[in-house]
Amino acid sequence: MTTQNLEIRRSSASLWGEKTGMRHLPVVSKFIDTTTCIGCKACEVACQEWNDLEAVPTRQTGNYQTMPELDAEFWNLIRFNERDFDGGVVWLMRKDQCMHCEDPGCLAACPAPGAIVQYENGIVDVNPEACIGCGFCATGCPFNVPKFHAKTGKMAKCTLCVDRVTSGLEPACIKACPTGCLQFGTKDDMVALGHARVEQLKGNGFANAVLYDPPGVGGTGVVTVLGHGDHPEWYGLPADPHVPVGVRFWKSVLRPLGVVAMIGAVLGAIGHFMYQGPKEPRARDGEPPPPPGA
Amino acid sequence: MSATASRPSADPAILRARRAEDVVVGEEIVRHRLATRVIHWTVALFFFLALFSGLPIWTPLFGWMAHLLGGLNVCRWLHPWAGALFFASMAVMFVHWLGEMRLEPRDREWLRPQKVAAYMKHQDDGTEGGKYNGGQKLFFFAAALGAVGLLLSGLVMWFPLEFPRMLRELAILLHDVTFILFVLAVVFHIYLGTAAEPGTFHSMIRGTVTKPWARLHHPRWHREVLGEETRRP
Repeated sequence: MTTQNLEIRRSSASLWGEKTGMRHLPVVSKFIDTTTCIGCKACEVACQEWNDLEAVPTRQTGNYQTMPELDAEFWNLIRFNERDFDGGVVWLMRKDQCMHCEDPGCLAACPAPGAIVQYENGIVDVNPEACIGCGFCATGCPFNVPKFHAKTGKMAKCTLCVDRVTSGLEPACIKACPTGCLQFGTKDDMVALGHARVEQLKGNGFANAVLYDPPGVGGTGVVTVLGHGDHPEWYGLPADPHVPVGVRFWKSVLRPLGVVAMIGAVLGAIGHFMYQGPKEPRARDGEPPPPPGA
Repeated sequence: MSATASRPSADPAILRARRAEDVVVGEEIVRHRLATRVIHWTVALFFFLALFSGLPIWTPLFGWMAHLLGGLNVCRWLHPWAGALFFASMAVMFVHWLGEMRLEPRDREWLRPQKVAAYMKHQDDGTEGGKYNGGQKLFFFAAALGAVGLLLSGLVMWFPLEFPRMLRELAILLHDVTFILFVLAVVFHIYLGTAAEPGTFHSMIRGTVTKPWARLHHPRWHREVLGEETRRP
């Protein structure tokens, strides 16, 4: 999180929109080609090193994958997926990390002002100072990325090496990749690169190859070439990710309605009092009137 | 000088209201004994603690409340504990009041829309409420049910790592809906208990009401307490 020299486009739970971006920065993106990934995990190590993350005990789950899920101290995970295909087995490795959605579900769900921000260049980041560790972002994320850090009580995830990118460097994972299956640049360039690679793959017999850039979340800041694009779930990716309907509903409908209803109830009570007045005992049957305020 | 100089003696009604309920003391009737009042205000205290620590998390519109409590991080810590204590005190109050709050056919009559409208217009002479009218009993059970809904959804939100995502999404929805309805009900509860019906707030503070108050708001209870009518089961 380096807000001092970055321009914020969107901020969580903001009343007026904490837009600080003066300049128009090009949106950046990672490019991941799953078809040329060799599963060397250099990106995992580079991520741990650059971000000074603690070594997390790995867990053997019957394959080469370092651990089953991302972790608050492990933001970059190569998923090793095996699938039966065409009489044989395909080994589908995919680099899993924050997708830096154009329309981030985490940011939509976050209740803490400024705890999740999206910079002008599209990077989605957690501000630990403002984060209250409620975990709503994990509920809003369609990719199951933000993780709770037990030591800090805050959420943590991939920052797209915003500190490096701000200084004109590529993210650590990209820098470490030996095969060139990871690239970094403007979103436009990465999408063009992806489409070119998809065409190449189609010529090589991967008829269903696609560039995964899901429109349901407005596209992502990580575009992924999938050889078997008809089965994104083989790679552990949702086919059509969206910000959860519940998150949208409670943010955009339920809460404004609730505030209006509460104000209406108070005004209604005041109105009733002014129109009807208090219900007080009246003297009857020749009794003396009750004392005031009784 | 004598050490036992005359001390002003306490109001006999106040003394009586410490332990007894539904008894006449002079011109007053004890409506809420001390235990009832303590439980009611304990529930109210934790309700407002949970409300003020929850509102800034609910929407940034109430973000300023977080500053009063020490920031949003304090609210995130405080809110679930305040909520848990709210539920616990609500459970005690439920048991304490359940006997007096049983719904009778008369209460169902009270809750008909025409009757409620007449009540709001101060024209409800037709139906004679007992110690608690249909609206009060409905609020009692709705509040207890609401507290259960808030607890169950709140537990899921308190420990998000322990529950699947779908359940967390539903929990936030349930917490929202229950909370909104609860606050609406509490707004009217407070209005009716203070400005709308003078003497009612006094009954929850000092425990006593005047006879004219009792005859106006709860005529059947008034007769019962004065011995004009035996108490119905």
